[in-house]
Amino acid sequence: MGDIAWHRKDLLSIYDLESEEISLILDTAEEFKKVSERNVKKVPALRGKTVVNFFVEPSTRTRMSFELAEHRLSADIVNIAADSSSLRKGETLLDTVRNIEALQIDLIVIRHSAPGAPMLIAKNISCGVLNAGDGAHAHPTQALLDLFTIREKKGRLRGLKVTIIGDILHSRVARSNIWGLLKLGAEVTLAGPSTLVPRDFEKIGVRVCHDLRSAIEDADVVNLLRIQHERQRAGFFPSVNEYARFFGLNETTEKYLKPDALVMHPGPINRGVELASTVADGPRSVILEQVTNGLAVRMAVLFLVAGCMNK
Amino acid sequence: MPEKVKLCNNFEIKAAINEIAHSIVAEFHGKTPAKEFALIGIHRQGVPLAQRLISSIEQHSGKCPELAQLDISMYRDDIGMRNSLPIIHETNIPFDVNDMAVILVDDVLSSGRTIRAALDAITDYGRPKLIRLAVLVDRGNREFPIRADYAGIDLTVAQDSKVMVEFGQSENDSSIYVTDWDKA
Repeated sequence: MGDIAWHRKDLLSIYDLESEEISLILDTAEEFKKVSERNVKKVPALRGKTVVNFFVEPSTRTRMSFELAEHRLSADIVNIAADSSSLRKGETLLDTVRNIEALQIDLIVIRHSAPGAPMLIAKNISCGVLNAGDGAHAHPTQALLDLFTIREKKGRLRGLKVTIIGDILHSRVARSNIWGLLKLGAEVTLAGPSTLVPRDFEKIGVRVCHDLRSAIEDADVVNLLRIQHERQRAGFFPSVNEYARFFGLNETTEKYLKPDALVMHPGPINRGVELASTVADGPRSVILEQVTNGLAVRMAVLFLVAGCMNK
Repeated sequence: MPEKVKLCNNFEIKAAINEIAHSIVAEFHGKTPAKEFALIGIHRQGVPLAQRLISSIEQHSGKCPELAQLDISMYRDDIGMRNSLPIIHETNIPFDVNDMAVILVDDVLSSGRTIRAALDAITDYGRPKLIRLAVLVDRGNREFPIRADYAGIDLTVAQDSKVMVEFGQSENDSSIYVTDWDKA
């Protein structure tokens, strides 16, 4: 009694988790958030553990957030970037991580452009593996910090209407968010051009909408995704300006929102494309709080996963 | 079912709590203003114990020291060695611990490792003037050089047994049990 059901040495995707496990992470993160608000912003929970941050695909904010979370848990840290790793010399991914394992590393935080890379690693080595983003597949800690922020602001997730706007097709953030929101009882709407938000998504129990106003007018939360310019070059939409006019949240379209709707963005923002500065810096925006909460959520998952090592 | 033997009833526990409260009042009453002295209950059972101690202190002295609650999971020395992690409960210290006289409160003192962790945790919040330790049960079995300043009940039980304190919703509902450690 009193001991919780967390038995995973890895955090690979939100899809794998039971709703109770997601709630447990969010509850645990609440206490870790307080650690960063103290004068002494550090606890000894991971003292003596070594974490490798293995970012095969470049990342600034997620890597920094994980690294700071590890520091605040007193872990020892090694950073490996793709261009400095032996992957460039032709070493296979599994050989690289087996070398990491041979150095008695406890946890690997990995970002990779290939979907499934973290799963492949987790199956083959005894270290704990945390997925920091794999291709268009999953970005579990981003979804967890989004869920945490919504729950903190709205007091609940069940029954809330959450709209995700943008390039859903190529987005691991969207996929992880969709699974997390559905598991915790929220209603999900996806919006954007039909080339980037195919109707197929309806099969998993979400609403697909190609009209911005109808997508956001009764939403409790609007989560905007970064529009990448290379998608225009690949022909998914005619121009960035046209995208901004039809799907951007700006002074005009913000009027469709409920007064207490939250505006979220995983960053980095394309100001003037998916989100105008007046909205990004306005009263509905919780974008910087998402960043703060990301640290707490990553401390929580590192703590929970580390607790399941050596078994 | 593991064998669970009741060692103390509510009457005996209340008497022990009163005795601890009395000793705390004897040490602090008149010398330390109520605002400069506080009880910090360690989750889980240290929290209801601290609540009961505070009401008893109030009855004895008319003064009501502040109450804080502390979770020490982030300060344990056995992460990854247990079957599962303890759930992290809320830490809530509603006052500045700097220059405070604080009394750590826990239900059972055994190895002393929980108290070691609690000392590390508290000192991360500031520099208290002094820290005392109050426990309902001292069951021996110490692994660290830690002792209680106030202990209600000294128990001698087999090393591999577990002493458990249960507090109910009402102040008239509490018991102390001993069970076989492996089966508990």
